[in-house]
Amino acid sequence: MNFMTLILLAGAGTFLMRFLPLVTGSGLSQHPSRLRLMLSALGVTAITALIVLSLVGLWQPEQPFGSTLRMLAGSVSVLAALRFSGHVGLATLVGAAVYGLTGW
Amino acid sequence: MTVSDYSASQLSHFLAGLRASASLAIGYVPMAFSFGVVALQANLAPWQAMAISIIVFAGAAQFILVSLLAAGTGGLTALTAVLLLNVRHVFYGPALVAQLACKPGRWSPLLAFGLTDEAFATAMSEATRRKLPPVWCVGVGLGAYGSWVLGTVLGVMLGAGLEGDEGVIGQALSFVLPALFIALLGQAFQRALWPVIAISAVLTGLSLLWSPGHVAMIIGMVGGALIRPWVGLNREAQS
Repeated sequence: MNFMTLILLAGAGTFLMRFLPLVTGSGLSQHPSRLRLMLSALGVTAITALIVLSLVGLWQPEQPFGSTLRMLAGSVSVLAALRFSGHVGLATLVGAAVYGLTGW
Repeated sequence: MTVSDYSASQLSHFLAGLRASASLAIGYVPMAFSFGVVALQANLAPWQAMAISIIVFAGAAQFILVSLLAAGTGGLTALTAVLLLNVRHVFYGPALVAQLACKPGRWSPLLAFGLTDEAFATAMSEATRRKLPPVWCVGVGLGAYGSWVLGTVLGVMLGAGLEGDEGVIGQALSFVLPALFIALLGQAFQRALWPVIAISAVLTGLSLLWSPGHVAMIIGMVGGALIRPWVGLNREAQS
């Protein structure tokens, strides 16, 4: 399989995995409230799972206390900046800056 | 409402979506920059790195794809890995449609193309406040796509030698995505949802002990969402 064929198939497959459930899933919003509640919760649960995955990827087993403390400092800074500014982008930058500075 | 009023309203929603994607771009540009650098280090040509970002547009899966190509893995194996990693996306469409103000109709293909983890998270965070116009979601997705492609361009043009940087900037960049997700969760947080969030976090963490990240994510995501109806019922019973 050459490079372009691989990329085109990967792109088409990824697109279809997003597109088909979007089209066929339209009817799900008409379903009973229990299913709708589950679907509505997928947003926060996806974000939660992504947080866990990304933080675990940063954790350093050779420096367990230090890396945990840095992640904690970065996370608390994000939430504090979000609380005061209400802006997701600014909060992200503040958290990243605190994490970078505490590791230097 | 006249046709021109309708078009103006659609344009206004689209631009609002583009503006909402700005916070997402802060996470995307550094990540795509890293992708451009990693792709060059894997001996891909700049045009190949760009082709992957333009055609596939799937963050983590792109890194896996490049690693497998660099390791000399066969095309079929690499393709299977990419598709398995992206299988979590099948949950996003139905969840998003349930939060839309109307059916996406002709916007469906564009909406689906931009439905990445981060665009979905941004949309669902906004959906805790209001029903979403489909064209707003298209604006978020296209803004995300633009920043992803821009980041890749910067990575392949300027990034050689920066990969592996352990200075303040390199360290800060490594925390951009977790910070973005934490901010999005902070924005979407509702007190009643804490059991759902806690179960999702614990399930994801435990699943990581015996399964790869993309599988752990599906387990945590679906497991947390499954208890949502009971959390809602308890709350209603209390009130």
